[in-house]
Amino acid sequence: MIGDEPLSTDELRRIDRTIRADWPTGEAVDFQEAVAYHESLPRHKRFADVLESADRPLLQPRAGVPLLEDQIDLLEYLRESGEADLLPTTIDSYTRDNEYGKAQEALEAARESGGETLNGFPAVNHGVDGCRALIEAVDGPIEVRHGTPDARLLAAITFAGGFQSFEGGPISYNIPYTKRHDLAKTIEHWQFVDRLAGAYTERGVRINREPFGPLTGTLVPPSIAITVMILEGLLAATQGVRSLTLGYGQVGNVVQDVAALRALRSLGEEYLPNDVCVTTVFHEWMGGFPPDEARASGVISLGGLTAAIGCPDKVITKSPQEFRGVPTMEANAAGLRTTRQIIDMALEQTITIDGIDDEQRLIERETRALLDAVDAHGDGDLVRGIVRAFETGALDVPFAPSESAQGAVLPARDDDGRVRILEFGNLALSEDIKAIHAARLAQRAETEGRERSFRMVADDVDAISDGRLIGRPLGGERRAD
Amino acid sequence: MVLHTMSRTVVLGVIGSDAHVVGITILEQAFRQAGLTVINLGVQSSQTEFAEAATQHDADAVLVSSLYGHAEQDCQGFHETLEAHGVDALTYIGGNLAVGQNDFEETRRTFQELGFDRVFDAETTPEDAIAALERDLRISTTANERATVTT
Repeated sequence: MIGDEPLSTDELRRIDRTIRADWPTGEAVDFQEAVAYHESLPRHKRFADVLESADRPLLQPRAGVPLLEDQIDLLEYLRESGEADLLPTTIDSYTRDNEYGKAQEALEAARESGGETLNGFPAVNHGVDGCRALIEAVDGPIEVRHGTPDARLLAAITFAGGFQSFEGGPISYNIPYTKRHDLAKTIEHWQFVDRLAGAYTERGVRINREPFGPLTGTLVPPSIAITVMILEGLLAATQGVRSLTLGYGQVGNVVQDVAALRALRSLGEEYLPNDVCVTTVFHEWMGGFPPDEARASGVISLGGLTAAIGCPDKVITKSPQEFRGVPTMEANAAGLRTTRQIIDMALEQTITIDGIDDEQRLIERETRALLDAVDAHGDGDLVRGIVRAFETGALDVPFAPSESAQGAVLPARDDDGRVRILEFGNLALSEDIKAIHAARLAQRAETEGRERSFRMVADDVDAISDGRLIGRPLGGERRAD
Repeated sequence: MVLHTMSRTVVLGVIGSDAHVVGITILEQAFRQAGLTVINLGVQSSQTEFAEAATQHDADAVLVSSLYGHAEQDCQGFHETLEAHGVDALTYIGGNLAVGQNDFEETRRTFQELGFDRVFDAETTPEDAIAALERDLRISTTANERATVTT
């Protein structure tokens, strides 16, 4: 197994040659020329600089369509009518599976019919020139957002194509996304992506990297998400990444979400090397949305309020059409403006809520325990520690489809709607921490007059789309006493 | 009601390239709590994986989940695959079985014709599935076992 060591220049070049042969557009990648291209970009398109110098949370939507012209129009619309500060380019599913041939067929079909034959922008097929045409036409910084376990060719082409921010990581784009990708192999693939970002960084082009914080997007306990963020941050830092944005997905309880955002920033700064600039990103609710645009706007607004109090550097917004999949550009822009309105109103006042410090302390204790367990599993090597900790279940992600993880952890909300752990599997938390979770869930069980069980989990998964936070039985009414 | 009853083995999985994991995770918990032995194949499981697991564990029931609308394609020849592996088990399927499920009775007939003993829609609770298994597998509880029933 590979270790947590920087790839050598020779190794970087060797892998680069191999992966660029995977698809014809790989040919056009020229690192020296690409560095010069990045230097020619104006400051307001340099992703890391814009993000790191912001004085309020910046907003970014998700958006990706197959054709270049349509993608330009979509991003310009979201920038102008949605007031997006940062822009995305979401990559299609074929590219995520490294099926560039299928993506090409679908892209050609889209060019003929104009239809939506792909669920994103096939950046590998568009190649370096296509990416640069997008970067030049859109008047803001753009990030590559995807979900690709082996993103080496995608990174080589999009970095050369002028993108300066790249989402994902070896844990966050493997464990929640796929069943059969071996974790050690995925870490090796991301070492290349991060080393390439590091090589640009050393030449003065700081590529921002963003591990995917929401993981499975379904009731993920904050300490598990933060642990994964720090681990991926450490792996990226080893390869020379110096601009890292750590992520966290809203769970819907304001106290827990604010506490988690503060813990994420505090532990990120503590654990990552001093020469890494750490920023944070808050994802608006990633679970099921109400099938009603007015109610969905309510969910989005709670995310905006939470962001104003928790002050992440960036917020990834949702649209009021979330329940039905990919939104229209108008709905996407509406989600951005709803969020902007709430954040800007809330930022102008002081909002003090009790309980945030206690919750933050609990999250930090749990995170430290999980990070210690990874360390203990590694015999001095972080990569080995991560792979073994997932194997034993000492580190685990709820609802993970991957065979590299146990997937034995089951979360449920407590009586206040905070996400606690019902089933721990082998998760490396101490008995006293487990007792806190058990007590909180017992309190909910008493309120609801039922046993703690998987029924709570099932009810909680649907609760927000059903118009509530907590999955209470019998229409969610609390017992009268 | 949760029955602690005689050990019966069920194979559970999501068929095809479907990656929806939340539903079967909850079903696995529910079935275990009901006293069943559960072999959970997880998401993205092939027909052969279902058949091999059923043979290996001498399963009493094979429970197929599908939520992405392509179940009909994924289940073509499923029962022939089971038969070829010598599997003689009850078969259920449940989830969002067709894109735009307008008429569930039609969907039910389609999957019954494919050979499934029972067909469930996405609104089915774990308790409904357990009740059906109890009926179909003739699981009965003795008075003594009833005393350990939790509600």
